[in-house]
Amino acid sequence: MDPKDELKTRIKQIIVKQLKLEIDPASIRDDAPLFGDAANGLGLDSIDALELVLGVEKEFGIKVQDEEVGVKAFASVDALHDFIRQKNAA
Amino acid sequence: MTSVEPLPHGYPFRFADRTVERTGPASGRVRAVVSANARGVAHGGLNSSLLSELMAQAALLLEGGDPEIGRSGFLAGFSEVSVLRVPEAGDVLTVDIALAGRLGPFAKFTATVADGDGTRVASGSFSVRKGTVPGAG
Repeated sequence: MDPKDELKTRIKQIIVKQLKLEIDPASIRDDAPLFGDAANGLGLDSIDALELVLGVEKEFGIKVQDEEVGVKAFASVDALHDFIRQKNAA
Repeated sequence: MTSVEPLPHGYPFRFADRTVERTGPASGRVRAVVSANARGVAHGGLNSSLLSELMAQAALLLEGGDPEIGRSGFLAGFSEVSVLRVPEAGDVLTVDIALAGRLGPFAKFTATVADGDGTRVASGSFSVRKGTVPGAG
């Protein structure tokens, strides 16, 4: 598997595990909005965002304390993938 | 009172009394006495919904809540709550709070509630939101 796809797969698994979702991780589209738009995405809320932040911190050792950064970084699986890559490269 | 009834978010719906010890910026130990005439204490006991509220109030007290009101925010949700014994009126409880993480106005905590003998009566993990309920006057 391409390392890029591998990271996205891991991100989807973390989302499902951390939020205790009863869906197949593979069913989450890479570009689907994670928050707000329940029709096209997951429709997650602010508390879910906090849970995801804690999951990413635990799995990747990346701290996200600024809400503005969090909103952008957790917009979609694609956005989170780029954010994690960027942080790991820094 | 059942767990499906709305919680009355306001004085005298206050269970967390005072901070006993601080172990971090938003971690430490809070004392709470179960009062028979506190709002919501039905049949002389503190049910699981109210125990969740107690944990949230204890966390918010450590977050810098007004000691008169005992809170500066509200319980936003809980991931898990385990109740081993329903505390009764007269019980003096200690609530040990640890901050798990925060994002913006939201913070997640874990809590362990023990009775006067130090026996664990409940534990849980939950989220609180600092500030007032959005849209509430």
